[in-house]
Amino acid sequence: MNATLPRFFWSEYRKRRKKAALITFALFWGTLSILLLMAFGQGMSTQFHVAFSGLGETLIMVYGGQTSLPFEGLPKGRQISLYPEDIDYLKDRIPEILRIAPESYNYLPVSAGGKEINRNIHGTTADFGLMRTQVPQLGGRFLNAEDTATGRKVAFIGWKVAVDLFGGADAVGKTIVIDRVPFLVVGVLVKKVQDSMYNGPDADQIYLPFHTYQQIDNRRRLNQIHIQPREASQSKLIEARVKTLLGRKYRFDPDDRYATSFWNTIEDAKEGMAIFKGIEIFLGIIGALTLLIGAVGVTNLMYAMAKERTKEIGIKLAIGARRRTIVGQFFLETVFVFAKGTFWGFITAFNIVHLVRLAPINYDSFGIEAYLLRPVFSLRIFVAYVIVLGTLCFLSGIFPALRASRANPIESLRYE
Amino acid sequence: MIELEGITKVYKTGSQSLEALRGISLKIGKGEFVSIMGPSGSGKSTLMNIVGCLDTPTAGEYLLDGGKVAGLTFDELAAVRNRKIGFVFQNFNLLPYATAWENIELPMLFDGKNGKKRRARVTELLNAVGLFEWRDHRPTELSGGQQQRIALARALANDPPILLADEPTGNLDSKSGEEIMAILSDLWRGGRTIVMVTHNDHIAACSERTIRLFDGQVLP
Repeated sequence: MNATLPRFFWSEYRKRRKKAALITFALFWGTLSILLLMAFGQGMSTQFHVAFSGLGETLIMVYGGQTSLPFEGLPKGRQISLYPEDIDYLKDRIPEILRIAPESYNYLPVSAGGKEINRNIHGTTADFGLMRTQVPQLGGRFLNAEDTATGRKVAFIGWKVAVDLFGGADAVGKTIVIDRVPFLVVGVLVKKVQDSMYNGPDADQIYLPFHTYQQIDNRRRLNQIHIQPREASQSKLIEARVKTLLGRKYRFDPDDRYATSFWNTIEDAKEGMAIFKGIEIFLGIIGALTLLIGAVGVTNLMYAMAKERTKEIGIKLAIGARRRTIVGQFFLETVFVFAKGTFWGFITAFNIVHLVRLAPINYDSFGIEAYLLRPVFSLRIFVAYVIVLGTLCFLSGIFPALRASRANPIESLRYE
Repeated sequence: MIELEGITKVYKTGSQSLEALRGISLKIGKGEFVSIMGPSGSGKSTLMNIVGCLDTPTAGEYLLDGGKVAGLTFDELAAVRNRKIGFVFQNFNLLPYATAWENIELPMLFDGKNGKKRRARVTELLNAVGLFEWRDHRPTELSGGQQQRIALARALANDPPILLADEPTGNLDSKSGEEIMAILSDLWRGGRTIVMVTHNDHIAACSERTIRLFDGQVLP
């Protein structure tokens, strides 16, 4: 093929571009629809996962309770409470525990800069931050081991508390007064998506070093204990061992379902993962069906356009076009039309996804928009789409030319 | 130059078969102007298509310049259609999207001729058929006679020694038909071999020799 033929092909294509525009638009629309569908689906699934992990991943929470079975001569109905010394007691005896932290809380007045609010004040240790995804905003930190050991009067506050007390100003380094005791704010929680919680979202909570907290709340008993296993698969084993050990210590039947209770996020996560997987499979099926519908439409158009040019192929063959010239022209046109439609579909989808992601999410009342406004653009899906639809388009666009260029020219010339 | 020996063409549609040509043998020498006549369905166009390498015979031998056409590959046949044989169709068969200029230029593009040569040749041919002013018009913007003149110019683009014309005046008014015949006669006088299918005795009279077909056979 000499250098001037492609130029001729281009001029032929330009003359036919109104007809090709329909196919280009179909490809554009198909690309846009599939990429957006998959981006919003993927985004929703990701946000579900993020929201689910907002509380913390691989976490077991242990609560006290009331016995429902008599045990070793003791009656049922006894109150079982957890105490600070249970932390070391359990950690020393259960090697599968990676992290463990106590938590006590109380609803107390908090004031700063003339504003006063009531919030849940928690006492805990540094490990709590790691287990409960307490990520500080830039320039701050969560409570550390030294805070707890030395009983520092420091506080880590939720981002909403910071807004409520300080407006838009940076809260780190400022002082808040809790129940008439001043505390230095060392960190503010980042905005996070959280769909599992107790006592409200973390954004509304205030955390103090455990020993410091005990100075303003003289109840000894803990509200709960947080445990993170070394391996997620050990969670049920840890639950059983905690029951046995606490049962031995506080004298209750380890099989007593009401003496202690557990919130095992690992087990919840298994259910959650099944839901995410289900959503992904559902979206995959929808995507595949959409792709199929698009492919049928586009390949039909492509085939029809190539087929109606059979006579043109006959004329070209009659005046001396070689097979590769004919096939080459159809190949180039198919590639160009496909690339053009797909490119604009890709660009539009990419920009829509990025524009939508700029929309603010109201972390205050975590609603439907948090799931819808964070689409995730997947290059992997785009590549798969290009391979599948590209192959089908290519075959449907080039097949009539291949067939016509293999027959005697007169057969194509007779085509009407 | 053109030698046909026992050429047969059978069309098969399902279980039916139609014998369009039944053992045609003929010779056309270099520089001859031959017309082929016969009633509809006598096999004139089928014969022309085989001579023009647009179709292949079911049986028989076709020698072009002493070489067997049956032994040529698809691309070698394309080269024959491109350089050796110019074909003029009754219904013109111009590319509808291309201008008059582009239609004439195309065989030269397929032959790989450079731009300068192409421009010179297209200009020469457009002037020869008197349509230079119409060079940027598409076929739909031209009359039947003009379209056939463009088709004739296209057939001559690569200066082929043989020109085949399948009822070149069949779709034209008498004046346009006469113009086409005048051009064909000039081309013959210039040394080209011309084979023309026609229904019209008056048109056939322009040729040196007439071959008559009936029921797929050459009448003696």
